[in-house]
Amino acid sequence: MKKYALYPGCVMPTEQYAYEISIREILPKLDVELVDIKGFSCCGEPIKSVNQMITLALSARNIALAEKEGLDLFSPCPICHLALTDCKRILDKDPEMNQRVNNFLNDEDLNYNGTSEILSILDLLHDTIGVEKIKEKVKKPFKDLKTAVHYGCHLIRPSEVGRPDDSENPQKIENILKAIGAKPEYYSEKLDCCGALLNANLPESALTKTGQKLKSVQEQGFNVFIDTCPWCHRQYDSKQQKAGETVAAKLDIPVVYLTQLIGVSFGIPMDKLGFDLNLSPVDKLKLGGK
Amino acid sequence: MSIIDLTSMGESQTEIRREINERLTKLQDEISDYCYQCAKCTSGCEAHKLLELEPHKIVALLKRGLIDEMVNSDIIWTCMSCFKCRERCPQKVAPVEILFALKNMAVASGKQIPGNYTVWLQSVLSTGLLQDVKSVSTSDNKTKTRSDLGLPEISKPLDPSKFQTMLSKLAVEKV
Amino acid sequence: MSQKIGVFVCHCGINIASTVDVKVLVDYAKTLDGVVVSKDYKYMCSDVGANLIKDSIKKHKLDGVVIACCSPRMHEHTFRGVVESGGVNAFNLEIANIREQCSWAHVDKIKATEKAKALVRGAVSKAKLLEPLATSKIKVTHAALVIGGGIAGIQSALDLAEEGNKVYLVEKNPSIGGRMAQLDKTFPTLDCSGCILTPKMMEVANHPNIELLTYSEVVGVEGSIGNYTVRVRKKARFVNLDKCTGCGDCMEACRMKGHVTSEFDEGIGKRSAIYMPFPQAIPLKCVIDKDSCLMLTRGKCGAGPLCVDACEANAIDFKQKDKEIELNVGAIVVATGYDLLDPDRLFEYGYQVSDDVITTMQMERLISTSGPTAGEILCPSNGEKPKSITYILCVGSRDENECTWCCRIGCMSSLKHVYLLKEKLGDDVEINICYTDIRSYGKGYEEFYRKIRGMNTNFFRGRPSEVRKMGDNLTIDLFDTTTNKLFEIKTDLVVLVPALVPRADADELSRTLRISQSSDGFLLEAHPKLRPMDTFTGGIFIAGCCQAPKDIQDSVAQASGAAARAANILSKKELESEPLISCVEEELCSGCSTCISVCAYNAIELKQEKDGKTHAKVNEALCMGCGACVASCPSGAMQQRGFKDKQIRPMIEETI
Repeated sequence: MKKYALYPGCVMPTEQYAYEISIREILPKLDVELVDIKGFSCCGEPIKSVNQMITLALSARNIALAEKEGLDLFSPCPICHLALTDCKRILDKDPEMNQRVNNFLNDEDLNYNGTSEILSILDLLHDTIGVEKIKEKVKKPFKDLKTAVHYGCHLIRPSEVGRPDDSENPQKIENILKAIGAKPEYYSEKLDCCGALLNANLPESALTKTGQKLKSVQEQGFNVFIDTCPWCHRQYDSKQQKAGETVAAKLDIPVVYLTQLIGVSFGIPMDKLGFDLNLSPVDKLKLGGK
Repeated sequence: MSIIDLTSMGESQTEIRREINERLTKLQDEISDYCYQCAKCTSGCEAHKLLELEPHKIVALLKRGLIDEMVNSDIIWTCMSCFKCRERCPQKVAPVEILFALKNMAVASGKQIPGNYTVWLQSVLSTGLLQDVKSVSTSDNKTKTRSDLGLPEISKPLDPSKFQTMLSKLAVEKV
Repeated sequence: MSQKIGVFVCHCGINIASTVDVKVLVDYAKTLDGVVVSKDYKYMCSDVGANLIKDSIKKHKLDGVVIACCSPRMHEHTFRGVVESGGVNAFNLEIANIREQCSWAHVDKIKATEKAKALVRGAVSKAKLLEPLATSKIKVTHAALVIGGGIAGIQSALDLAEEGNKVYLVEKNPSIGGRMAQLDKTFPTLDCSGCILTPKMMEVANHPNIELLTYSEVVGVEGSIGNYTVRVRKKARFVNLDKCTGCGDCMEACRMKGHVTSEFDEGIGKRSAIYMPFPQAIPLKCVIDKDSCLMLTRGKCGAGPLCVDACEANAIDFKQKDKEIELNVGAIVVATGYDLLDPDRLFEYGYQVSDDVITTMQMERLISTSGPTAGEILCPSNGEKPKSITYILCVGSRDENECTWCCRIGCMSSLKHVYLLKEKLGDDVEINICYTDIRSYGKGYEEFYRKIRGMNTNFFRGRPSEVRKMGDNLTIDLFDTTTNKLFEIKTDLVVLVPALVPRADADELSRTLRISQSSDGFLLEAHPKLRPMDTFTGGIFIAGCCQAPKDIQDSVAQASGAAARAANILSKKELESEPLISCVEEELCSGCSTCISVCAYNAIELKQEKDGKTHAKVNEALCMGCGACVASCPSGAMQQRGFKDKQIRPMIEETI
């Protein structure tokens, strides 16, 4: 059993519950134990525009909390994952920054040591657990599920700081989807942004970005849209209707977390995977069995 | 000897430009000087078509030291941090990081922070998170809370006052 | 060992004299032990200076000379000649550098003069211990090897052959011609590439002094300047060259016809397993690709190989084997050319996503009448004529993530294409050029650019971020900095202009030849300005794009230059070897072989004497005098002539 501290971020534990539910459901079946640590806070990435020092310190304190327990961190939200990874990169390379940030952490009796690794959902599922092992657990593989994969921005860019997959031709989610029987297909908007971070000051524009991408995906005849980020999912799933109104289109496409889809292929009943929380038309998928 | 931009009658703010370049180097990003204005960043900018952000122009203005006009603008707040500009720049310049620097400068100089940033900041201060736990509606119009769904209690800073002390000190800290 | 030393101090105009007090220096030198005469002159390197030295040698019967002047890199060679003709052994000369290392480095006249005194003092003490040395003669093999049969290799080979030298031209492809053979027209004159190339190819084929070795590769090189032994592997063609008439019936009949990707067509055309490289190939003979031939890979081809049936000359021979031969040459010219960057490195430009995203070289093949579409411009995806073609320049060039350099030919190639495409598709065809800079630097280039500007070409100054395939179109968003507007370009065919990169086997070749590569992987020239065809290895020269990207005229110029450099060696009966090389003091040598392990030139071997003792022995013909063995020797047995420990130590002590 591999053990990781689950770093939940902000959006997943306060509103995108389906992601957390499906993660907690499938990972034990893949021999991964998630440990809940007290004391976490926001990673700081969404407020980087205000003061990047705050972001660095917030990320560092969260890593420090996991280090205290001697655990590596698993961060399912790609935005948090980028924040934590970049913080680690800077503090490991720059002793002056390391000192400065640790001075702030001392207020809470915390210290960043650089002893914990930080894993994303792809690092965990694809690289650590492995596609073969996931395939072994599949009881109900899909048939004819034309899948549009949305990687989002923070999972694959900027490649300079080290991201879990290639920035121009990422394939890890496709690999997993093929193992569970889905049929991921290429579409030209694959690497486009959902616009979520504009919710800070330009929410209409965020919805426009969301709507534009979904509209094209729908027009290209995809059966389902897969994502791995709570911010993206909130746009594409929870706000699908509003997004449609913003771009004057009737959006009607199922949007599902990768972990939810994996769970269905494992034979886990849908009500144990948070499907009642998806606001997009997931029953169109006829995934069967409650 | 002087160079004056006749449109804004602004002189080059070389000190601040140097500061920003130092900040970029510190965070191991490339400085703006190497940009040769190919505009690949703007051609692919996710915020350009919708909001008219021109990352290459931001870099050009920084090279000229015309920083105030950017810090005082609304355009710098249109970036959605998709990182495509940084990813694809052939000279490794990172307009997205330059924009973060300009936004941080705007905040530090007392400009009004647009939109929800203040709300988010307040929430982080008081609860440690961007927002507090919400009740959500299901597809069949039921309302569920986190505990309804069987999820464990949410993780928050153990000592809020220590946490807040740290944050208040950070608020005035510059990279 | 010198007993009577003359010291000659040069003023070098004011270069030395304004900072070092030369008169004081001359007087000081007279006081040094072993110095019998000391003189100064304004320009010691002039005729007057030379005569001054020679007269002094005669008058005072000198047996050693110290010249205090500029860096030995400047005039040591000249001065050696002067003292030799004055009657002193050329290697009983020591130069004290009082310019680059003294007058040019300091401003304080008093201190500089003191330093100059110290330098002269040290030089005199070394000069007393120098031994007369003789250069040995190396016989020169009067033959040259040219590696690479593109235009640069062809030019070098012809120049060398015309001088009367025997030339081996080794080309790894089945035909010579290189990149030029793939082109349709050349810029800026729009000459037909084949028409200007084939006469040269024919000259090579017919020249009595040139031995053409095609479908062959250099696999090993031993020796040094004037005497190289080269092993060449002649790959099996499986076609008998004496019998093959080049009729081409075999390739029409071949079972694999239309199934094998053609390298000559840059991957957008197909060929058979047995094929003629191109219609004007030299030699005009077919060759079988052993990796795609059914007979050679599976041992059977249907009921029987169809090529054998079709061949009236009975020229096919599946039993042929690779053959290795040895060539002896005096000089080598490397002209192995370039490759294009794989466009997949910039995945965002859609090369993998759409068949209608091609490279400039692939477009050359479409334009070419001998290409896969017989010169018709057709979209690879649907075989239709494009109404709109968009060029993206600098794909992977000037890019810190890929190739930092400029490819030099991308801009002009694209402009050339505009002309040819408008000629073929009509003036109405929309051609878009997305550029960052237009580099039209050569003779006639700027005028050509003007011509293309006047041809209704859409120039966009900006670089696209992506090429998207949306339905049937290719769509490109492009910010044009001239108008500050974002344009959405819907186009039928996208042509990427990729960076020029060294050949994939450049690393291996440089190891085989023991020449260096620059950090970009191209072959390294000895000096970028003054010795652009030389390498640091004596007797080996480089020409064309293997050294750095360039256009055809610069390749030809460099090729002729390299040939002249090689001819310098081949025109001599003998070369004088540098005597400042290693030598072994055999009593001190224990045969530990440390020196052998550090020698980059394989110039040292272990010799066993009659009494069983082993010691190192230096092959004087191969030793380059780099000194690595001297530094590595734990016992001090290995010494470098002219820089022996017993000569350097007193010099150090005296100088300080």
